[in-house]
This record gives sequence, C-alpha cells and structure tokens, in this order.
Amino acid sequence: MDFLNLAFWTFVASTAGIYAIFALGLYVQFSMAGLPNFGHVAFMAIGAYTMAILVVRYSVSLPVASMAGIAAAIVLALILGIPSLRLRADYLAIATVAGGEIVRYLAMNLPDLTGGPIGSIGLLGPGQIALYNGGWQRSLDELTTALSAVIGAAANRDLTMALMVWSIVLVLIVLFRRLERSPWGRVLKGIREDEMAVTAVGKNVFAFKLQALMLGAVLGAAAGLLLALQIGVFSPDDYQPTLTFYAYLILILGGMNRLWAIPVGAVVFSLLYAGTRFLNFFPLSLIDSGSRAFLRLFLVGFLLVLFMAVRPQGMLGNRRELLLEK
Amino acid sequence: MTPLLLEVDGVSKHFGGVAAVDDASFGVTEGVITALIGPNGAGKTTMFNLISGFMRPDCGTIRFAGRRIDGARGDVVARAGLVRAFQTARVLTRMSVLENMLLAAKDQPGERLGMNLIAPRRVARRESEVHARALELLDLVRLRHLADDYAGTLSGGQRKLLELGRALMVAPRMILLDEPMAGVAPVLAQQLLDHIQQLRQRHGATVCVIEHDMDVVMSISDRVIVMDEGRVIAEGPPDAIQRDERVIEAYLGRQGHADESQRGRPA
Ligand SMILES: Nc1ncnc2c1ncn2[C@@H]1O[C@H](COP(=O)(O)OP(=O)(O)O)[C@@H](O)[C@H]1O
Ligand SMILES: [Mg+2]
Repeated sequence: MDFLNLAFWTFVASTAGIYAIFALGLYVQFSMAGLPNFGHVAFMAIGAYTMAILVVRYSVSLPVASMAGIAAAIVLALILGIPSLRLRADYLAIATVAGGEIVRYLAMNLPDLTGGPIGSIGLLGPGQIALYNGGWQRSLDELTTALSAVIGAAANRDLTMALMVWSIVLVLIVLFRRLERSPWGRVLKGIREDEMAVTAVGKNVFAFKLQALMLGAVLGAAAGLLLALQIGVFSPDDYQPTLTFYAYLILILGGMNRLWAIPVGAVVFSLLYAGTRFLNFFPLSLIDSGSRAFLRLFLVGFLLVLFMAVRPQGMLGNRRELLLEK
Repeated sequence: MTPLLLEVDGVSKHFGGVAAVDDASFGVTEGVITALIGPNGAGKTTMFNLISGFMRPDCGTIRFAGRRIDGARGDVVARAGLVRAFQTARVLTRMSVLENMLLAAKDQPGERLGMNLIAPRRVARRESEVHARALELLDLVRLRHLADDYAGTLSGGQRKLLELGRALMVAPRMILLDEPMAGVAPVLAQQLLDHIQQLRQRHGATVCVIEHDMDVVMSISDRVIVMDEGRVIAEGPPDAIQRDERVIEAYLGRQGHADESQRGRPA
C-alpha cells in the first residue's frame, strides 16, 4: 500500500478518534479517580456484543440497541465495582483483569448467543452471514450526501465518519474539562490522592468511585460501538487485553493527568501503530512480512520506552506534579 | 448538668489478642476542650478511629448529639458534625492548598455529577461562598500565602495546619485532633494552640485533642481523660488529674521505673 494513501489515513484518523474516546473512559477512572482498571476492553466488548445481538437476532433498531449496549456496560461496571471498590485498589485491578477475560471467554464459548470464535458474522448460526450495521451505513451515506453539498467531491463515507468521531471527541473533551474542574471532579481527585482524607471530610468515597467507574464504562462502550460500526464485523479476538494497555499508552504518551493530552496521545499512538506498517523499505524489505509484523510491535514498544525515558511526564504533562510524593 | 455532646459507653476494640481499647466509657460536654492523654500505645488513636467511624467497635455504644454513631461510616460521622484530623497529617499532595480546603466544603450541589450540567449557576454561587470561607480559614491557619502551592510542598507542621483548616471547612460541631503539635516547629505549635482556643471562643466548637506535652495539656484543656492499656483510668479537671495517683503511676511507672511497673502489671 502506498504511504500517501488518503483513504487509509482517513480510516486511521477515525480509529484514533475512537481510541481517544476509549482512553477518555480510562482517564475518568484512572487519572481522575485513581481506579486501576485493567479490563477496560470488556466495556468495549460488552457494548458491541449487546448492540449486535439485539440488532441481528431481535431486530431492535440501532439507536435502541446502542443504548442497550451502553446500559450493559454500566451493569458490568456495577458487577465489578460493588464488591471491590470498598476494598483496597488492588482488588479492583484484579476484578477488572478477570472481568475483561471472562467477557472475552464467554463471547468465545457461547456460540449460540455470540457467534462464537468467528464473531459477529456467525450471529445467525452457520451458513448465514449476519450484519448489524446496515442502518449505520445508510445514515452515514445520508450524512455524506449532506457533506458533499459543502465540500464537493472530496466527501466520502470514511471522511464523514472521521469528522463525526472527532466532533464527538471535541464535545467530550470540553464536557469533561468542565466536569474535571467541577466540585465533583475535585472529590475524585481527592480520592485519587488519599481516600481516607476525603472520607474524613464527609464524602461518600464508595459512591464517587462507583460513579467514575460507571462513567468510564459508558465511554468504553461508546468507543466499542463506534469501532464495531466502523469496521462492520468483530470477533472475540478483537477484544484482547492489549487494547486496554493501548489506552494506558495513550494516557502515558499524552501526559497522565492532562485532558487535552488524550487526543494528542491517541493520534501519536495511531501514527506509530499504523505508520510502522510502512517500514517495508530496504533493508527491512529483506525480512519476510510475518517477522516484519513482530518487528513493528517491537519498534512501537521500543519507541515508547525511549519516550518514557526522555519525557516521563508525557508530551503535555507537568513534571513537577509527577515528582511530588503521594 | 449540660447534656453530653459525645458519649462513649463500654467500648472495646481488639486486634488479635491485643485489647487496644478495653471497656472505655467517657463523655464530652459541648463547648469544652478535652485532652485525651496516656502513654504510647494506650489506645488513644484507636479511640479516635472508633469515634470517627474509621473503625467499628467490637462492643459498646457511641452517641453524638444523642444519635448512635458506633459502626456508622466515617463520612456519615463527619457529615453529622464530628470531624477528625489524623496523627500523621493526610493532605492531598498533588492538589493545591486551596483545593484541599475547597474539597472539604459541605452542601456543594456540584458534587452531584449532573448538577454541573443542569444547574451550573447554583454550583458557581456555592463555589464562591466556599472560596471566600476557605481564604478566611487559610488566613486563620496562616497558610494563605501558600494557597496556590501544591500541598505536597508543605512542611510537616504546615500540613498539620492545613488539615486543621480543612477540618474547619466542614463547619464541625466537634473536632478530634490527634497530636496536632507533634512534629510542628515551636512557633507554629504556639499558633496552633492559639487556634484551638480561638475555635472554642469564637466558634463555640467542641475540641478533643490527644496531646503528650503535659504543660500544653494543663494550659489549654478544661477536662482531661487519661487512658492506659486501653482503659480510661481517670477523668477530671487538669489540676485534679495532675495529682491523681493512678495517672502518676501510669506515666512515671513507665518512664521512671520501667522494670518496677513491669513487675506490678499482669502480662
Ligand atoms: N490497625 C491496627 N492493627 C493492629 N494493632 C493496632 C492497630 N492500631 C493500633 N493497634 C495497637 O493497639 C494499641 C493501641 O494503639 P494506639 O491506639 O495507636 O495507641 P496511642 O495512640 O495511644 O499511642 C497498640 O498496641 C497498637 O499496636
Ligand atoms: Mg496515637
């Protein structure tokens, strides 16, 4: 593929925006409230699966099915959070790691409900191809027609998607910037620093933590819905634990405690991730493509380590804040 | 007799085999400064943890303003008007001094997520009240010039002052201070003492303070409660406590004649 392929980069732009929404969910939980969620991908998966199952098997309309997907993620957050959030932070970490894997294994092993290992395509059982995003494609086409009235022939489905995703990102960032500076955000920040001190001044720490977990789950599910709709098909393998760590990488790249750093981190991550696929020039072209894929992952990891060594506070982070002890 | 603001009745707390608090009973009258004293390990901090809802007593009852608070969560006790400070100050290091104060404010509708979106004006109005109050209290604890610094940059003594100020933001009816002078420079300690006395005079607050320095105890407190090995062994006005045989034994027995006291005490 050509390095200057516009369609490819438009697609990367949408994905970067979706990753930004996904990472924003983690930001609310981890950066704002100090909740270590190592199974964020589960919210993505449960959102996408709930939506697709309802659309394909029960002919529920896409908007309603999407709402149900988000509701399912909230329920999962409650299941993971209620037993563990009263305990030390490590318990949530364990619960979420397990929760993420359980969701993926269930998706894999309940073929009658989920389509099993082949994923959404198998939702109607063998011999039939199941599609859930017909309604989405139609809406996207309508929007594209509207867009072409403005920008002419350059309009296409991918561009519409990218613009839409990034508009959502922008609105969310503005909204969460407000929430972060609100008294609600201040309590979360206090909990991140020392929950006993926050309890001592009369705040119900458990309730705030649960809210943060739920809100993060909503964003995770929203990202899961967008990704599933963009790509049009998914399988349990798309919800590997690595996805959660990509979200952490995005937060780290941008600078842990900066909201504006999330889109920046998401773009940099996506550029690194997508860009390294063009490492096919001499002498790298001598290596076969399978090993090159590994090389690529190795390179992403190496660049990240290098980055952390040079700039531990991230691109937009505050070094002084990083150095203060808890 | 004035009714008691705080009533502790037959409270015990065991850690494994150790009875950290052992059938302790005492009362605190409103508007009074009470000192809780006793040798190290006597169970004073544990007593505070039990009263403030940070630990649940094994048995016994605790009433605050007539209401049972034993076993209630810490935040519920604080909202009822009984606020504690910690032996090692717990400030929120990566938040500014001012933010530490603002966080503690009561009745802020903006602590409800949705209120920030549907009633931002109400939130902002309360926020400006809270802000003014926070600056006032920072003046009182002499930290106003540091309002925008990270709390993590404060010295140990300043952290104790900040924690006191933060506790006052809750507008408590009663405040529990665990060794507020420990680790505080003498000049600051004197200021702290003044604040504690002002608290009662100006704000009518009830204060219960754990303190080791007997001179301090004698000078600021109206009443003294003495604990030893988990039990309340004496309670009364400072001068009477100073002459109390059991108190002298508990203190001097440990410090002066360690081996004698060991023999005299059941293991
Ligand atoms: N969380 C705890 N777990 C186990 N033992 C404790 C705990 N807290 C206090 N203790 C024990 O209870 C006793 C009383 O401690 P404490 O209340 O801190 O005494 P003081 O504040 O009077 O010095 C000590 O023997 C201490 O070791
Ligand atoms: Mg103590």
